[in-house]
Amino acid sequence: MNPGQHAISVEQLHKSFGENEVLKGIDLTANRGEVISVLGSSGSGKSTLLRCMNLLEIPDSGIVRVTGEEVLMKKNRRGENLPADIKQVERIRSRIAMVFQQFNLWAHMTILENVMEAPVYVLKQKRAEVRDRAIFYLNKVGIADKLDAYPIHLSGGQQQRAAIARALCIEPEVMLFDEPTSALDPELVGEVLQVMRDLAAEGRTMIVVTHEMGFAREVSSRTIFIEQGLIIENGTPQQVFDSPKTERFEMFIAAMM
Amino acid sequence: MDFSIITSNIDVYLEGMKNTLILVSISLVIGLLLAVPLAVLRVVGNSFVQIPIRIFVYFFRGTPLLVQMFLVYYGLGQFDFIRESFVWPLFKEAYFCALLTFSLNTCAYTVEILRGSMVATPHGEVEAATAAGMSKFLMLRRIILPSAFRRALPAYSNEIIFMLHGSALASVITIVDITGAARIINSRYYSPYEAFITAALFYMAITFTLVFLIRQLEKKWHAHLQPENQSVVKIEAPHENITG
Repeated sequence: MNPGQHAISVEQLHKSFGENEVLKGIDLTANRGEVISVLGSSGSGKSTLLRCMNLLEIPDSGIVRVTGEEVLMKKNRRGENLPADIKQVERIRSRIAMVFQQFNLWAHMTILENVMEAPVYVLKQKRAEVRDRAIFYLNKVGIADKLDAYPIHLSGGQQQRAAIARALCIEPEVMLFDEPTSALDPELVGEVLQVMRDLAAEGRTMIVVTHEMGFAREVSSRTIFIEQGLIIENGTPQQVFDSPKTERFEMFIAAMM
Repeated sequence: MDFSIITSNIDVYLEGMKNTLILVSISLVIGLLLAVPLAVLRVVGNSFVQIPIRIFVYFFRGTPLLVQMFLVYYGLGQFDFIRESFVWPLFKEAYFCALLTFSLNTCAYTVEILRGSMVATPHGEVEAATAAGMSKFLMLRRIILPSAFRRALPAYSNEIIFMLHGSALASVITIVDITGAARIINSRYYSPYEAFITAALFYMAITFTLVFLIRQLEKKWHAHLQPENQSVVKIEAPHENITG
């Protein structure tokens, strides 16, 4: 496989919180244009895996590569793993967008300011260009009429769509979604999922931690299932849902349906 | 009661008000400018940086403003090495001593106010900034401090008013501020009621002006905290139905 096709990959990723080993050696490669749904019960390590990919959590060992570039690590005096070059980590993070469960919009900025923030101040792009692009993406997620509103004035679904516009505006290599619909009222879930379907159809590289079985099944190009820190199912949604290899996943689907 | 002694001596009060306003505003500006970096270091610095800041804050919050002013104005003059040094021309001036004490005092309180509101930055917003690739410095400048300043405003507006009222102590070390003016009039005519009620009215007028200005700033800065449709106007809306 051509490594240039790799959007993001992890190799033998391990991560513990104290005594609790959350990731026990995860290997995963997302190619350009893939939409990977990550399923798993709570505490399985799926969010931690996602957060290791943009170094929000520092893995204890293992390799993270973004478009072929390996994140350099070093050990401190206590033997803990640390990024060797924080500038590299910041640069890599600026090419990966993350959408959070709790939206995490910056409350003191308007929606437009939220969307323009990273391109203008992190990527140092021209304000006028960024503004046009921000409005384009806010249109795309359907909240261009809320440009000057503050996050508190928006519904949860609108806030999450604004957060997706914020993620899009940096024109990321990969988009990471950490349970993007879990904090929403059931009636608002649909509008966010629709935006995500559109993005998937455009061929964006997305890794989506989710409990939305419909999305995993219909939209993603690959579904993985994590159980106790290991990937135990990995394949197309048809393979995984229709003929799961493990009994654990069958039980999981049965419980979700 | 005879308020003609006030009207005929109003220039003394106006001079006093000028001094109060200069003292307070310069102290507040210096105090705030010092407090911002100190609060940042107090939050993100290692313990070598934190400990001196803690001691500074602890001292100025732990002792009365009057005692601090006496220590600077009377206390420092006791040491030969200060009297003989180049700083003495400054420290022998009551005005400078008051300014210095007030600045450091308000600085200490402001450090604590800012520290509290920086620490209260929602974790998710910090995480979003991290994930966007912001450096620590950029995050401070664009996310943590702007957010903290807004949260700090109500507490800081109290600090402004405390500083205004605390500045009355300057009159003890010979400065003619509003209270100093009142003391002059009182000693000249022996009419404490007229003298000090006038001072009180001056302080009230300044306080209410400040409160008004801060409220304007809050309206502008706290828009992001006010849910729409919950303004006072909306709560009064049913009246329209009754009359209409």
